[in-house]
Amino acid sequence: MTKLHFLIFSILLSVSISLYAQQHNRDSLFQFEIEKKTTEFRSEIDFKKAHLFYQEKNWDSTLVYSMKQLSSTQNKELVDYCHFFRGHSFRTKNLLDNAKKEFNSISREFKFYHKVNINLGEISLEEKKFLNAISYFKEVETLIKNNQYVYKKSNVILNLGLCYTRLNKYNKAQEYLFKSKQMQEKEKDTLSIIATNINIAILYFRKRNKKQAFVYFKQAYDLSKKHKDFDSKRRTALNMSIFEETNKNLPLALSYRKEYEKWKDSLNDQNKIWKVAELEKEFAVKQKQKEVTVLEAENKLKVAERNKLLYSSIGLVLLLITGGYFYREKIKTNKIIVAQKITLDELNATKDKLFSIVSHDLRSSVNALKTSNTKLQESLETKNFTELDTQLNNNSAITNGAYNLLDNLLNWALLQTEQGYFEITSMRLFIIVEHVAYNYKALLLDKNISFENTVGKKDMIDADQESLKIILRNLLDNAIKFSNENGSIKVYSKSEDNNYCNLIIEDTGLGMSESTRLELLKDTALLSKKENEDIIGTGLGMQLVKQMIHKNKGGFNIESELGKGTKMIVSLPKTAS
Amino acid sequence: MDNINVLIIEDTKAESDALVKVLNANNYNIVGIAPTYKDALDLFYNNKVDIVVIDIFLNGNPDGITFAETINVVPDAARPFVFLTSSTDRKIFERAKLTQPFSFLMKPFNELEILYAIEMALEKFYAQNDVFLSDEEDTVISKEYLFIKKGKSLKKVLLNEIIYIEVEEKYCNIITEKEKFVILISLTKILNLLDNAIFCRTHRNFIVNSEKIVEIVPADNLILLSGGHKATLSDTYKTIIKKIRTLK
Repeated sequence: MTKLHFLIFSILLSVSISLYAQQHNRDSLFQFEIEKKTTEFRSEIDFKKAHLFYQEKNWDSTLVYSMKQLSSTQNKELVDYCHFFRGHSFRTKNLLDNAKKEFNSISREFKFYHKVNINLGEISLEEKKFLNAISYFKEVETLIKNNQYVYKKSNVILNLGLCYTRLNKYNKAQEYLFKSKQMQEKEKDTLSIIATNINIAILYFRKRNKKQAFVYFKQAYDLSKKHKDFDSKRRTALNMSIFEETNKNLPLALSYRKEYEKWKDSLNDQNKIWKVAELEKEFAVKQKQKEVTVLEAENKLKVAERNKLLYSSIGLVLLLITGGYFYREKIKTNKIIVAQKITLDELNATKDKLFSIVSHDLRSSVNALKTSNTKLQESLETKNFTELDTQLNNNSAITNGAYNLLDNLLNWALLQTEQGYFEITSMRLFIIVEHVAYNYKALLLDKNISFENTVGKKDMIDADQESLKIILRNLLDNAIKFSNENGSIKVYSKSEDNNYCNLIIEDTGLGMSESTRLELLKDTALLSKKENEDIIGTGLGMQLVKQMIHKNKGGFNIESELGKGTKMIVSLPKTAS
Repeated sequence: MDNINVLIIEDTKAESDALVKVLNANNYNIVGIAPTYKDALDLFYNNKVDIVVIDIFLNGNPDGITFAETINVVPDAARPFVFLTSSTDRKIFERAKLTQPFSFLMKPFNELEILYAIEMALEKFYAQNDVFLSDEEDTVISKEYLFIKKGKSLKKVLLNEIIYIEVEEKYCNIITEKEKFVILISLTKILNLLDNAIFCRTHRNFIVNSEKIVEIVPADNLILLSGGHKATLSDTYKTIIKKIRTLK
């Protein structure tokens, strides 16, 4: 019998506590007050967080942040709220001693102190310290009597009834239980009514009033049938079964027991279904996660592939561009090389031509000397002295010509290799002309050409003496060469401007055509064509003249009229005075 | 007037002969022909040489340049010189150029060119450029001589033989013990170049060799000179009297 009691009581106790836990958070006034506090203490972030976690039923976090808030604040209200949060958290985590400590540190001024009392009472109830529980609940009861706001007052009354029942004070227990039932009926809280009915039934059961006990058990049982809550159904069924068992009405007890088992199973089933659903959900999530990761991997692969394609195409384009660039460069250099080759070929051809002409000229000169010498010998043998003189003159003319050619050749070579001494100094143009002309006296006399040097004696020019002499020698040589007998050659100067002095060598000789003139003035290294084998030379002399004048920073021009004569004009820089 | 003494340093006989011929024809006095460096030094120090004509290459060596370098070291012994060369080799020229003053003549050369080269060498050596070719002047003055251009060639007159110089516009009458002639030179230039310890200005137009003074007659403004020459002494230049006395 006692064993049975215990079973029933434990079920009942759990009923009342679960009720409390279920409904606690729905206390809107309490919530509203806390909201107000959080907005009031907006700056207290820890409090806000603690409250947030409290609402989310994340008890551990609530404990952490409330502790932080406690260590940083002195505000009594906040301290009380924090203790409350902590107490509640500890209680739900079944650390009852800690919960009691926290609740006890809440000051009496706390606006919701009745909640503290309720909590403490319920804890005492759990610890089976019924007297303590009663004292806590009584305090709340006085508040109820004074018509003050208490959330779920019927529960308090129910719990008082419970305590008295356990203390075997049945009268008091009865009073409270009925009062609770009355209140619950007003509140239309079926679950609480069921719990109260069970408790009343147990009260009657303890008073051995089986009849009454049956009525309330039955009432609870019927009520639970109307209600969805499996737990109530199970408990009422179990109670009925135990009750019928004590009445020895075994078949009935068995049917109730079966019903109990059924509700228990369905409760379990429900739980199982929940669990299965949970598992399925988890599985689905995992599956989804897998898919996501697969997709991600695929994406990564795609991106990598795309990047590879991009880089390789960029590389290809770069390669193409550089290739094109080098190809163009190559074409350019090829062009340059080709152009250089052409000029080199031309130069080489010139050189070859020069060689052949020079050697040809020398050969004919030497040949002429040879034949002339044979004639000389003949004349000597026949002692024809009058002939001898002309032959010797002829010989010296030939050697002179050959010498001039060789001299030009040497100077040309020196000019090409830049080995010659070259120094520009100031000098009197007149004297230099005199010096050069001196060598041609005999030749001039021979051809009966009158020669005049009317260069201004004060004309000072800047030039390299030797190269100036080479220029004059060639020009005079040409003038004589292209002059007819009894002609005249005049050399004179004309001041071009402040910087240049023009030296003009004028003859009354053959002159030249415009095309020849332009040909001679051309800056090419090519030798002019031979129009007249006898008197037109290699062109080396003119080439030398032009290059020497250029080296002396001078200018060169030709004025000529076919059959009338030629003016060779050399502009030379004046000596700055 | 005396002929100019020329020393020829040349190892090719044909060439030296031609040179001698040309120079003799133009009244130059050849004191010797040296075919080697050693002979050249001997002839140079044993004769009164006015100018040296040097072939750069003696027996294939540029001993001509060495000679020029040697005589250039002693300031009083140094004389004007002309290099003869048939090569325009730049390296040789670079070395020869260091023997300042530098004159050269390329072979082959004609008469005019060698005479011109000698004149140029003289002008350059005594740092009186552009004298012989200009119309304004014809005389270069050294410490010992007047070098005067006469026709195509040069003559020299010993300064010690000059008794007095009479200036007439841009001409100067030079009166020596033996002769009297006219040179073209500006008064300022001749005054600058003559040693004014010996040659004193006695008048606007007179420069007198103080060593030739026989007697000064201040009363008549007259200076009696050796050889019976007379020069005028103007008041402006009477300080000369003190100078002469202190000298004697």
